[in-house]
Amino acid sequence: MDKLLRNKKAIFVFVAPALILFTAVLFIPIGTSFYYALCDYDKVTRSYSFIGFGNFINLAKDKDMFIALKNSLFFLVFSCVSQLIMGLLLAALLTNIKVGRNLFKNVIYLPCVLSSAALGLLWAFLFHAKVGINNLLANFGIQGPAWLYSTSGFITLPMWVIAFVSLWQYVGQSMMLYMAQISGINKTLYEASYIDGATKMQAFRYITLPLVKPMIGTAMSLNAIGSLKFFDLIYSMLGDKTENLKMDVLATFLYRTGFSSKGGNHYGKASAIGVILVALCLLATAIINKLFKTENYEM
Amino acid sequence: MRRKVLSVMLSLSMAAGLMASVPMTAAADEEVQEITWMFWDDLDASEDNITKGFKEVIDRFNEDYDGVYHVTPITTTLEEYYTQLNALVDADQTPDVFIVSPGPNLTDYVAPGVVAPLDEYLEEDGWKETFSSDAVFAQQTYDGEIYAIPLNIAAACVFYNKEIFEEAGVEVPETYDELLEVCEQIKEAGYTPITISAGTAWCLSMLAGYLCDREGVDLAAINAGEESWNNEKTVAAGEKLLELSQYFQETAAGDSNDDATAALYFEEAAILIQGSWAIGQMNGANPDFEEKCGVFQFPAIEGGNDPNRVIAKSDSLAMSSSTESPEACIALMKYFTDDEAQRYTAEVGGKIPVTKVEYDASVAPAQLADVMDIFENATGTFGFYNESLVSSDAGAEFDNHMVAIFQQEETPEEAFQAVEDWYVENGYR
Amino acid sequence: MDHKKNKKPVKISTVLIYVFFLFMMVVYLAPLVWIGMTSLKTRAEIYKSPFGWPEAFQWENYAVAWKAGKLGIAMLNSLFVCVITLLLTMIIGSMAAFAIARMRWKLSGAAMIYILVGMMIPVHCVLIPLFVRFAKLGLTNNLWGLILPYLTFSLPTCVFIMAGFFRSIPNDLLESACMDGCTIYQVFFRICFPLARTGLFVTGLMTFVGNWNELLLALVFMSDDMKKTLPVALTKFVTPYQTNYDKMFPAIMIAIIPTIIVYSLFSNQIVDGLTAGAVKS
Repeated sequence: MDKLLRNKKAIFVFVAPALILFTAVLFIPIGTSFYYALCDYDKVTRSYSFIGFGNFINLAKDKDMFIALKNSLFFLVFSCVSQLIMGLLLAALLTNIKVGRNLFKNVIYLPCVLSSAALGLLWAFLFHAKVGINNLLANFGIQGPAWLYSTSGFITLPMWVIAFVSLWQYVGQSMMLYMAQISGINKTLYEASYIDGATKMQAFRYITLPLVKPMIGTAMSLNAIGSLKFFDLIYSMLGDKTENLKMDVLATFLYRTGFSSKGGNHYGKASAIGVILVALCLLATAIINKLFKTENYEM
Repeated sequence: MRRKVLSVMLSLSMAAGLMASVPMTAAADEEVQEITWMFWDDLDASEDNITKGFKEVIDRFNEDYDGVYHVTPITTTLEEYYTQLNALVDADQTPDVFIVSPGPNLTDYVAPGVVAPLDEYLEEDGWKETFSSDAVFAQQTYDGEIYAIPLNIAAACVFYNKEIFEEAGVEVPETYDELLEVCEQIKEAGYTPITISAGTAWCLSMLAGYLCDREGVDLAAINAGEESWNNEKTVAAGEKLLELSQYFQETAAGDSNDDATAALYFEEAAILIQGSWAIGQMNGANPDFEEKCGVFQFPAIEGGNDPNRVIAKSDSLAMSSSTESPEACIALMKYFTDDEAQRYTAEVGGKIPVTKVEYDASVAPAQLADVMDIFENATGTFGFYNESLVSSDAGAEFDNHMVAIFQQEETPEEAFQAVEDWYVENGYR
Repeated sequence: MDHKKNKKPVKISTVLIYVFFLFMMVVYLAPLVWIGMTSLKTRAEIYKSPFGWPEAFQWENYAVAWKAGKLGIAMLNSLFVCVITLLLTMIIGSMAAFAIARMRWKLSGAAMIYILVGMMIPVHCVLIPLFVRFAKLGLTNNLWGLILPYLTFSLPTCVFIMAGFFRSIPNDLLESACMDGCTIYQVFFRICFPLARTGLFVTGLMTFVGNWNELLLALVFMSDDMKKTLPVALTKFVTPYQTNYDKMFPAIMIAIIPTIIVYSLFSNQIVDGLTAGAVKS
């Protein structure tokens, strides 16, 4: 058996296609990107010239970068916390009911499989200044808030709106992961605890929660990375308005710096933002893994 | 079960792949000179009349030159346009002919030699003589050489609802002070005086550009570094922008260009400052509005500049310097400026033609006559401010600070000082 | 007290739970129902009464959107790209996952990290270098030019999930297979691969959905109308000068309905697959 599992040739056959693809399609271009991050791109000559850390120094002084970073970190924290709470809550409640359980869980998971771009257009319309929900409110004589264009506050209203839309769309994912973990818990553990006189809340606190903990790490890492890369939804809801509404996140800032028709084409600076984004993703995952690293309980 | 589904999906997808590859092989005819033309709107999905006219031109060209030349359109959305164009240029796949805005955007392609000068072609067969004047090439000329062919001209004017004006008992304002007065009365009559989009920054920036020009801001001197952005005239313009903003619709900050235009043609607001390309959109969306819609020249500022200057913008075509079939490209460009296409531009598109073509004013949108009137009486034209600065980045910077004034995040002094600072930091001083 | 058998009295907590979930159903389904309704209105109606019942059903909105948006060819393109990507991802991904999770070699940990780092890289980072490279290889305006990056970006999730499944396969099973004289390839393809089919189903779904909805790469790589995928075709309705709501909403419906149908057919398997596989066995 050991010999079989140490078969070098087989390992090579199994791993090579994935690694070759990875290197060619991802890491070589990434390497190029990292190099670009240290370069200034000249629009006129369409060439790169090495400038060291100039892009990073400029970014550190850039107030748009500060906004993007602030918003991205907000999304990161909001999505980790809200998905944890809502995901666990939904999972715990669903495991407690029989009738309709499948229906509820399928419907809540549904938006996860739909296109963010399409759903973004839909929500943008619903939160439109006049025609969406505000039209409904106007019928009752209420002037609706500036859902998607208020610029006041440290975390602006549109940021919260989009954060909740993303929670709406993706909480099914976390719920599924937690449900998988909870339904894997041995029923006799609960029965034993009830015999000992534990309430449901206590059972949740002392049995479910500790046993779900490893999954929290996994689900949260996925959330963290997803929220840092967050692009489709915000782009389809706000289009090119992110800058003026102070609604940039790192991914939209990167896109706009690199590719937008307006003030774009700074490939060097955009690549530097990309490098920061990758570094943040690595850092967030490392921290989450540290926090939730537990020895696997016997189930 | 699952395997069955999988195999069905697989065979479906293979069929899709086969079908998708058919046009590729069909086009590989050696006789025909193939060129590409890149544009920022979808020819089939769009409802924009100018786009529909372009589609007719492309179809007509392919039909007339069947077996000789063939053009394939590459279309994107406006937001993605320069992204994709730049990517194609970087990959040495520059489209043979592409649309581009004059000003810094065109400069981005002229400076690295991506596009070819067109003078020798213009001189042939009297092509250049068909244009209404040499002045139409002003924004496309670099060191005496013409790098792009204008296709149409749109003038930015003030559109208004005649009925609301009547109801409020106001006349067309000729000066800025009268404009304020008119706004005040319209507000009292219960309508939104001005509808504008600050969500789409260039719309607000167009108004700022008019105010600056009317105040007498010398853009050339500022761009050349002879004057600072932070001067009396720009600040006065900024203050007027702020003053006018109290008459904007409440949702101006978030409204897109569409939303702002809709407020005019749904008769919620009285005044819209917009390019004449909006005519087709307004008349299409609400045909009843055509006769209620009046047009006037942006008001004068007393003690300021000549009030007969108009913001004008043209769509232009440039030719790749690496094209293999310049003859085909030129033939295509000539189709865009021939009488049929230009007549369409005026009669249906609602834009001002660039050639001396005769067109039937009675079939053209009612507003076009007014626009033409303003344009013909103009003593001079100037471009969008954001397309007239030292670079496209500078234009974006200008737009953003105008929005900041509107949102009262910066005072006019701070905003224009910030633009000045940007010029200093980026080595334009 | 037995928490599941005691059925007689309906507890308040149960009622509350159902009220809560009924509320959630409204939150989740109302927007989708609403978009279906709106897609049948005229543009003026959409502006004037966005929530009302359509005055007259504008079925031709769909025909117009389908034709103008060239959604038919776009759907076939999407299907082709996604199915090929799905199959390749499953095979290549689970082979790598198996080697990393179960086989014994020094660099397996490093290989896992190498692949997982890919999960954290936003596609924007590689857009330009990839485009330039692919253009030179003739892979732009070519559906394979999408399949390659989609495959690469789908692999990390696949490897990550499949590795979990392979780890959970009991050692005894592998050992008995060894006793029977299986080669390592047989162990993988005959035993482990089928055992992990729930995992494959889950990864397959995630891969398919992710790529079906991908916008950015498709937008930049495919400029030829005949090669555009569905999400790219959708963006056409947001044109420079106006938003064609009366075409955009039907187009959105056309884009999401197939997903909803497939999902409704398989949702129990998808959901159970995730539930059964991720921790147990």
